[in-house]
Amino acid sequence: MSDPSLLVVVQRYGDVPGGAEAHARAVVQRLKPNFAIEVATTTATDYRTWRHELTAGIDAVDGVTVRRFPVERPRAWNFKLFERRAFRAGHTLEDERAFIDAQGPYAPELLEFIFARGRDYDHVLFFTYIYYPTVLGLPLVPERAVLVPTAHEEAAIGLAAYKPVFLAPRAIAYNTEEERRMVWRRFRNERISNEIVGVGIEMPADRDAARFRSEYGIDGPYLLYVGRIVESKNCGELFSNFLRLRRLDPSHDPTLVLIGDSEMAVPRDAAIRHLGRVSDQDKWDALAGCAAFVMPSLLESLSLVTLEAWAAGRPAIVDARSPVLAGMARRARAGLAYRSPAEFAEICEVLLGDPALGDRLGAAGAEFVAATYTWPRVVETYVDLFAEVRARLS
Amino acid sequence: MRILIVVQRYGAEVVGGSESHARVVAQRLAKLNQVEVAATTALDYWSWAPHFPPGESMDGPVRVRRFTIAGLRSPTFKETENHLLFEPHSLAEEREWLATQGPHVPALLEFLHREGNAYEAILFYTYIYEPTAAGLPLVAERAALISTAHDEEPLRLLPYRALFQLPRAFGFLTPEERDLVHARFANEHIPSEVLGIGLDAPPWHDPAPFRERYAPRGPLALYLGQVSEGKAVDELVADWIEYHDTGGAGTLVLAGTQRMPLPDREDIVSLGHVSEEEKYALLEAADVLVLPSHLESLGIVLLEGWQVGTPCLVSAHNAVTSGQVARARAGLSYERDDFADALAAVLARRDALGAAGRRYVERECTWPAFDARLEQLVDLVAS
Repeated sequence: MSDPSLLVVVQRYGDVPGGAEAHARAVVQRLKPNFAIEVATTTATDYRTWRHELTAGIDAVDGVTVRRFPVERPRAWNFKLFERRAFRAGHTLEDERAFIDAQGPYAPELLEFIFARGRDYDHVLFFTYIYYPTVLGLPLVPERAVLVPTAHEEAAIGLAAYKPVFLAPRAIAYNTEEERRMVWRRFRNERISNEIVGVGIEMPADRDAARFRSEYGIDGPYLLYVGRIVESKNCGELFSNFLRLRRLDPSHDPTLVLIGDSEMAVPRDAAIRHLGRVSDQDKWDALAGCAAFVMPSLLESLSLVTLEAWAAGRPAIVDARSPVLAGMARRARAGLAYRSPAEFAEICEVLLGDPALGDRLGAAGAEFVAATYTWPRVVETYVDLFAEVRARLS
Repeated sequence: MRILIVVQRYGAEVVGGSESHARVVAQRLAKLNQVEVAATTALDYWSWAPHFPPGESMDGPVRVRRFTIAGLRSPTFKETENHLLFEPHSLAEEREWLATQGPHVPALLEFLHREGNAYEAILFYTYIYEPTAAGLPLVAERAALISTAHDEEPLRLLPYRALFQLPRAFGFLTPEERDLVHARFANEHIPSEVLGIGLDAPPWHDPAPFRERYAPRGPLALYLGQVSEGKAVDELVADWIEYHDTGGAGTLVLAGTQRMPLPDREDIVSLGHVSEEEKYALLEAADVLVLPSHLESLGIVLLEGWQVGTPCLVSAHNAVTSGQVARARAGLSYERDDFADALAAVLARRDALGAAGRRYVERECTWPAFDARLEQLVDLVAS
């Protein structure tokens, strides 16, 4: 018998940035042995413009057939205006429709493909609830649709347009317990089959903090942030919290190490070291040596790097206002959440002053990741969800 | 509890099975709840022409809001329909379906979007029209769908694929409708309630004059409803003629507006439209009620016949009425080539079958029994 077929729908695919996109690609690679997989996506690579960059038609990525459909118009230059109109109280249905189209990626041919051919696949897996391909594509094949929402609290999720996305699919693969609870509260869709799936964390066996320190010339204890350095991830607040800590507590002399591309100004301070993009090995070496990993972002449906920090046995410092990160840190007993700059400073002082505490929290984090976020478990959970969908189709 | 009922047409003078059901439900629920209705200004479904004034009015305790229709039924609707149902077409074309069919009522949709949160339960009637197909998704988390679905081509169209996955609960008219929807959409995980209907006690009526007129000629077989090909009355007439011409006795009485030609025969009588009292007098005087229609979503006339102890003969091609008859054990269903045998079998056990029918409606169609099922449906949504 041939493998069951699976169509994966995602807004961008291939060598493109983005957490959800990386997530989709990693899942496709892991599911490849069990399913005849194809990907349906757009020709865009940049979510800020959705500009038509790649060639439309059949492509291949990691040996998987990828069907790219043209983005017929880039994201509207005045997209923020559409956003404001749709997000204000008392907005109209037309405001919502205009927002979905303006947000993009506007690819009507992708929808026609799902309409005409979607039912040739046993399952259709949609990544990310928010964009045009999912909002308008999922209702075309609800009886075989599985959704990976990658949702978090934000204005868009309150729009009526998203109700069918969360109520119509056959199954939902959430990233975290916190995401599931938020979605259940909003949509009352507990009756839909679902699992906490997320992704698997894999790390190299060889992780060497000393190698990282010598390569980059870093001495003493350091806090580590990995990710895009942008205002939307609350990095500005991280900088001011960190500099405040340095001013008020001269005893520990910590460094803040930043790994990732910067889309904002990084303060010029000897204690803040921005390394830009580094190799995967360097990242793991850096994780192994940090006093704590810091994740200031409020809007995460799953923070992969935080999971990686835990997998590496290090504690995480997170913002208490982020339900997902604070909830996971509490459940994993592998991190501490701050509600103010003063609490941020206190947490840092405690962890810098008591390295054994950091090790204990980190060990709990490693256990938490091993229990849920491993590839064999992720693959098995998808296989089970899809089998259930298939059983109900026949 | 604050409850909203959404239905394409509403009012005492509106003709239609789903619409009548919606009005009954509104009035029943209004005994214990604050009930409102959102509908259009239309009276008929073939033109959707404005008839009622737009805005608010009261129907007894029920507040009715009627919204102005922006698009009447498109003159090219039939061609569009044939194209979509039977020919290859694009997604973009299929998206036009709802608006072409009408009633296209953006104001009603905006009302649901704006005010839907103010209701604890919203009941949507009839899956097929825009107020439900485009309105229910806006308030899905508090919606019940009373789909009144038949096994018909439009049920396959795009706007309904997701619709049948969205409501918090379904209200079905019959178990057969439930089975059809489950088979088509694999949505058994959504809770549902089979509502059926409640019936008032029959008004005063006197069957004696009809008995005296027809009994001397043999058994009285009654058809009650619109006399048209759409209701398969032409098939019934042909079956009857075959039965009569091969030695069968009696009279076939047709009561209802006549919309088709009939043969000129002594054993076939068309009475035209009859009053409520005449209807029950005929039902009680009849030896058997025959319902040949292939497409009935409830077959309420069967229940009315059983109220006065008359058994039924229904087409085996109609799953709903066949199911009703089998459940009540108050009649038989027939294939076209065994009409005469089935008729004879029912006539032979007329009183026993009729009594079973009477017991069935006394159990299932009293107002307390109906109200309890309705309350169950509302609880499924509001809980």
